[in-house]
Amino acid sequence: MSKKEKKIKNQVEEPVHLDIPEDEIWTYQVEGLAAPHINKPYKNYTIKKIIFALVIIVAVSISCYFSVRTVQTETFEYKDTDTGYELSKFSNTGYIKELTIDFLSEVEYDRSNDDAETNFEIVKDESKRITSVGAYALNCDGTVRIINIGAGVDYVDPKAFYSCWALQQIEVDENNPNYCDVDGVLYNKDMTEVICYPCNHDQYLREKYGYEEEPYRADATEEYVKDIQTYVVPSTVKTIGQLCFNYANLRAIYLPEGLEKIETLGVFKLHEPKDQYSNTPSLESIYTYKTENEISDTHFTSEEVFTEVYSSLPDTLQYIGSDAFSYNQTLTYLYIPESVTYIGHHAFWDTVYKEDGSLLGVTQIFIEADEDSFNKNVKTGDQWRPQYDYMLFKKSVDMVFDSERAD
Amino acid sequence: MGNKIKSFFTEIKTHWNTPAEGKYVPYKEYKDVVFAVGSNYAGAKTLEYIGFWSACYLIMHHYKLPYLTFSVIGILNMPLGYISALMWWFVCDNLGFLPKKTEKKFYAAYVGMMLFGISTILFDYSLLFNQSGAFITYLNGLEGMSATACFKTFGTHFLYTGWVGARNIFWRKKLLPKYGRYKYSLYCDVVPKCIMVILIGWLPVYNIPDVATRVWVANLLFATYNVFGFANNLETCTKSISPNLQERILVRSYPVKISHIFNSILAIILPAIIGSLRHEWADINMYRYVIPITFITFAALTMFFAGRIKERIPQPPVEKKVQIKFWDGMFGVLHNKYLLINTVVGLIDSLGNGMLPFVTILYFYTFRLSGLPYSLLVALISFAGTPPDLLSPYFLKRFSYKQIMIFYQLSRGIGNLIIAAAMWFCGENLVLCGTICVVVLFFMEMTKTVPTTAGHDMNVRIGDYQMYLSGERLESFAGVFGWFTGPITSFVGLIIPIFLLKYGFNSNWEVLFIDDSRRNIIVIPLIVDVIGFFLMTIPYLFWDYDSKKQNMVMEVLKRRAEVTERKAQEEGEKVSGGYLG
Repeated sequence: MSKKEKKIKNQVEEPVHLDIPEDEIWTYQVEGLAAPHINKPYKNYTIKKIIFALVIIVAVSISCYFSVRTVQTETFEYKDTDTGYELSKFSNTGYIKELTIDFLSEVEYDRSNDDAETNFEIVKDESKRITSVGAYALNCDGTVRIINIGAGVDYVDPKAFYSCWALQQIEVDENNPNYCDVDGVLYNKDMTEVICYPCNHDQYLREKYGYEEEPYRADATEEYVKDIQTYVVPSTVKTIGQLCFNYANLRAIYLPEGLEKIETLGVFKLHEPKDQYSNTPSLESIYTYKTENEISDTHFTSEEVFTEVYSSLPDTLQYIGSDAFSYNQTLTYLYIPESVTYIGHHAFWDTVYKEDGSLLGVTQIFIEADEDSFNKNVKTGDQWRPQYDYMLFKKSVDMVFDSERAD
Repeated sequence: MGNKIKSFFTEIKTHWNTPAEGKYVPYKEYKDVVFAVGSNYAGAKTLEYIGFWSACYLIMHHYKLPYLTFSVIGILNMPLGYISALMWWFVCDNLGFLPKKTEKKFYAAYVGMMLFGISTILFDYSLLFNQSGAFITYLNGLEGMSATACFKTFGTHFLYTGWVGARNIFWRKKLLPKYGRYKYSLYCDVVPKCIMVILIGWLPVYNIPDVATRVWVANLLFATYNVFGFANNLETCTKSISPNLQERILVRSYPVKISHIFNSILAIILPAIIGSLRHEWADINMYRYVIPITFITFAALTMFFAGRIKERIPQPPVEKKVQIKFWDGMFGVLHNKYLLINTVVGLIDSLGNGMLPFVTILYFYTFRLSGLPYSLLVALISFAGTPPDLLSPYFLKRFSYKQIMIFYQLSRGIGNLIIAAAMWFCGENLVLCGTICVVVLFFMEMTKTVPTTAGHDMNVRIGDYQMYLSGERLESFAGVFGWFTGPITSFVGLIIPIFLLKYGFNSNWEVLFIDDSRRNIIVIPLIVDVIGFFLMTIPYLFWDYDSKKQNMVMEVLKRRAEVTERKAQEEGEKVSGGYLG
């Protein structure tokens, strides 16, 4: 008999017959199995009950203790690095609205004060300097409005202030050699990269320009759009950083000619309130300006301050990161200049949609290069073009090669 | 052949309204089963789109609640869970029919819980404590929570437990005699459930700006929603549709299986409809219109057909059913080695608890699927399990349970490892990564069917073994293992959420669009899960319950039945439902 046949034979259920005396039906032990325990009292019944109950109580208590310890988070968590300390995690107590990142800090409570909003102070150890801010140090915080970056911070991770919904301003100490801010927006020191436009920066601008309430999209005046929802990227900027403008409330962005890179999720999902229940995409236009003078004022006054303005991406742009413009469904015109050599996957994802049978948003992509040179020179990621519903499936929008830029 | 078809139709026509001799179910009821179970199943499946868990699209796109908060709520609810489980067991021991005095005590306890719960919602108990004290500052520091939110969440669980407990006693007593034990809950739950489904989509709770307030209000809303059930009751009802075993099998094999086609069609159509919305899965209209309309339609159909399905197996009245003593049941199951092994396997499996649904992430955030392509891919992978199902008898005969389960765990481990490697090394090449993942998922679905069938079969055998050990199957007492494992699994289940938080996953799922973050968020937990799968093979090495032992156990059980039935007959007692029948 082969090994295989033997194996099969072993698995087949063979009929068995057991000769069990009548008086042993409740006690008969099958070979290899535990003996039955029926209608018999358990030995040490009470002790077993106590042990059982104790084990449950101890297990639940230990679990609760360790679970509670595990989910307990310090307000400030730091990592020791070669150059100093890194702020690796900030967990808001629920009441910290302004955060200064310079020295190791901890929260101390005033026991005599019963007002949760004011009963604490942040105490700093000035002998321990924070030199970096790690990725996701602040993540989905809904309370912090202002972040002050100290003079000693030499690295801020691009993902450091991810989805800080209430964040209005990032202020940088003027003695910081690596970073600076322009009216609450974070830049590197030589202003060649815009790093973080805070999610709620529009609230700061509203206060600055005297708008009391945030209007719904349909109610925004021309003046409001100009003051609050238009941003001029300074002329020195070469790179729009990763996640830089994500979730900002902007309708128009003026990019400088000279810009070379728009990093991953650089202009991702810009939005504004549609009504009291929902938001709607906001970004309508991207312009590029040429200038003879250096422009550092980010507040838009008029196009007259520029030498020349044209629609869409700058002629100097080389790199468009993945998801760079995703979900901006109100964007309508997109022109890719010949200078572009890389377009990441899903770079313009969901910028087109169908409504009442009409195709809206980025319905075509205009490309300066001809088809051959585009295919030869530009490295593109998967699904870089937006797609729309077509015969129950998805279809990418058309590319129009050899195009001239629209006015 | 022609004659056979003709006689088949004649048979159906003849017994359309009245069943054949020896049978109980007229063919008209077969038709009703198709529509009733089909609607009920499709309606229940539609509700899977709504839930207080992080992967629910409503929570994912609109509520945006911190991921770790769900674990925090779990910990807050755990101690009360044990107390309410004890009370529940007491009610279940008596199957809902309590002596008058005890019933009053239970009502008092449940109403007390409800009142306490309501009071925590109306008043802020956290204000009773020193706001600068360690307790309150600790609660304020919990992810997504505040002291106020903690007290209100705690109270919500009291409200929920009291409400469900009191309703359970009240409605069981009132409706069970009229509608039977499987259908009665549909009648008292369907209307409030429909209202809650509408409210969940329309109440703008997700617009509350403060996250802690949003958490407790959402918890209250979903707890209220969960008070009312809409499970697959009518399919359960078909288990007792006829006292004739063959007829029962026939009903469960054909009309019930055919009825699932409603859901299969819905599973393709619904994502296609959702895909046509402007913001697809993130469109709130999915919860305002698509889900409520779908659910209410199927709920109405369910109620229309529910009355036509009958329970026919004569069973002792629930209030007369004899229960085994609490402690005897407890110790009985604790002596069952195979339940212990399964418990250890479950414990190791908890290593993967808290993991995000990586297949969903793969579809939505890596491949950006929606609409019909999504439906078709999901349907294709689900279908992969069907052909091997036909070969289950062969595999079950050819291989031992131990071999099947070890293969199952290894296949899961290797499959997930390949997916993790694909995502790590070629995550940006969507075509290559996607192809690898889909092929592996297809293979994993294929290799799941036989172990699942083997598992069901083995559960029955474990019941037989328990019967051999204790003289009863003690199925409800098997839950006692959960009491021991619950605290451990809830702690172990925190490991992955803590990892995920570290890699950037909190309340905004769109972090998954960032390639390197998505890679860490998916791959690291997947590797933890893979370790779990490999470790899970170890307990199965000790599994020695084979067919030979099962046959010997069955011999013992038969002999017991034979002897006790004969004795009963000798003593002039009526015997029913035993070994000899």
